[in-house]
Amino acid sequence: MTKHQITPILQLNNITKKFGGLLAVDAVSFTVVQNEIFGLIGPNGAGKTTIFNMLSGLITPDLGQINYLGQDLTKLQSYQIAQRGIARTFQNLRLLGNLSALENVLVPCNVHHKTDFLADFLGLPKAQLAQKKTYSKAKELLDLVGLSDNIKQQANNFSYGDQRRLEIARALALEPKLLLLDEPAAGMNTSEKASLSDLIRQIRDQFNLTIILIEHHIPLVMSLCERIAVLDFGKLISLGEPEQVKNDPLVIEAYLGNE
Amino acid sequence: MDFSLFLQNFLNGLSIGSVYAIFALGYTLVFSILGIINFAHGAIFTLGAYFTYALAGGKFGFNGILANAQLPFQLPFVMALLLSSVLSGLVTVLLERLAFKPLRARNADPLLTLVSSLGAALVIVNLIQYLVGAEIYTFPANIYGNLPEAINFGTATKPINIRTVQIIVFGVSVIIVTCLTYLINYTKVGKALQAIAEDTTTASLLGINSERLIMITFFISGFLAGISGTLVSSSVSIAGPYFGISFGLKGLAVIVLGGLGNIPGAIGGGLLIGLAEAFVPSDYSGYKDAISFGLLFIMLLVRPQGLFGKKLIQKV
Repeated sequence: MTKHQITPILQLNNITKKFGGLLAVDAVSFTVVQNEIFGLIGPNGAGKTTIFNMLSGLITPDLGQINYLGQDLTKLQSYQIAQRGIARTFQNLRLLGNLSALENVLVPCNVHHKTDFLADFLGLPKAQLAQKKTYSKAKELLDLVGLSDNIKQQANNFSYGDQRRLEIARALALEPKLLLLDEPAAGMNTSEKASLSDLIRQIRDQFNLTIILIEHHIPLVMSLCERIAVLDFGKLISLGEPEQVKNDPLVIEAYLGNE
Repeated sequence: MDFSLFLQNFLNGLSIGSVYAIFALGYTLVFSILGIINFAHGAIFTLGAYFTYALAGGKFGFNGILANAQLPFQLPFVMALLLSSVLSGLVTVLLERLAFKPLRARNADPLLTLVSSLGAALVIVNLIQYLVGAEIYTFPANIYGNLPEAINFGTATKPINIRTVQIIVFGVSVIIVTCLTYLINYTKVGKALQAIAEDTTTASLLGINSERLIMITFFISGFLAGISGTLVSSSVSIAGPYFGISFGLKGLAVIVLGGLGNIPGAIGGGLLIGLAEAFVPSDYSGYKDAISFGLLFIMLLVRPQGLFGKKLIQKV
């Protein structure tokens, strides 16, 4: 982390979420600094995706604040959070399946092209120019994730791995500062996982991103992430650099059980 | 049936069918975004007709608390039509706020909005009756200026007479359908609407303010209802506050026939029902509704997903 400046981009402060009687996230606090790749791991049901859902505004925490570049995210709607530069992908893909791959990327691209409705509707030159720019940007992003063929095909028809990469391209189209990846390697084979690692590093450097990653494949997390937070039953049990976390007795106990 | 009569029926069918189409598009837009049917759509259709009648300087009768009321000004028909459609759109937005949004915010079953929109329809219809009574109102004959009553597309010996109103109705409908198709397919708002129709949550995570677009959708839907209400009543008459309700049911037949939530389906279904009705001989004109609902019945047996609908494939 020596080459990065240490400025916080995201601070979770005492975040708590209950679902009925279940404490899904229990007083979790951590800070993510700019440009780091931050891993969020833990056994199933540890509350990782719930944290992502709170970061993207799909659910509101019962307690605590989320500070993102000086704003409290808990007071914003999900579309406002997206417009402020937090993009995410999903564990169970959520593509707009009946739209084409290209259209999936175009929709978030449009957020950044503020042409007024009338100019757009009448196809005025400035609107056409903006549209051309969005198109070429969308195509670049699809190229970047390795999807340059069949981009006019329905997203539903893409293979699983391609759909995962399409989700990443779509998230990048929002021009995010913070990218949340929820199990990006799920269902991928070894070589796909390796190229995914490269892609994640590449987009971090190219777009100056901060990335938070939920992932079950531990070798990938250990090699990719600069810092890792471990959750178990909603509690933060360990936080630090990969080596540190790997040898933490609490983590070993959470994963292997106490004998 | 000789050819000129056939052509005359055909053109009349296209004209009424095109109004069915724009009316049904209002249903379809809301359905494709929210997956619900707005049962107040027919009531807004009625409201649009009354708005235009009033704005064009029409005088209300002796029933209702606004008996003998008349606006102090009189707009040209085209202006009245536009303003009335905008007003219908605004009322529909208000309706969305009162009858749809509160339920959506509480994650209520979509079925419940059927009940609340039906309730809203009754409130609107009864309010109209309370205010201006249940009489039949007819637009003055000269609303379209000094155009002839009918235009002969045939020869003097073999006339194909089409009423001017029908031609105007068809023209306006074609313009509306073209604009709307363009809006949905080629503009940013259209792309955003498509995204919401697919998945509202995902759309919001892509930076789309879905509440705002839902409002826009309801506005367009109400605008379409208002315009079609005016067009139909200008070619026939305003047959009392309830006349939109039966038209509303017809509209439902159109969208189911064409395929729920499907824009080409609403257009195709509208034209099909319009044409089918136009070929009902005048002696049997009382059976027109039977024809359209009969068509619907057959369609549901043969092709339940509708004319343009996609077959639902159950994924295992």
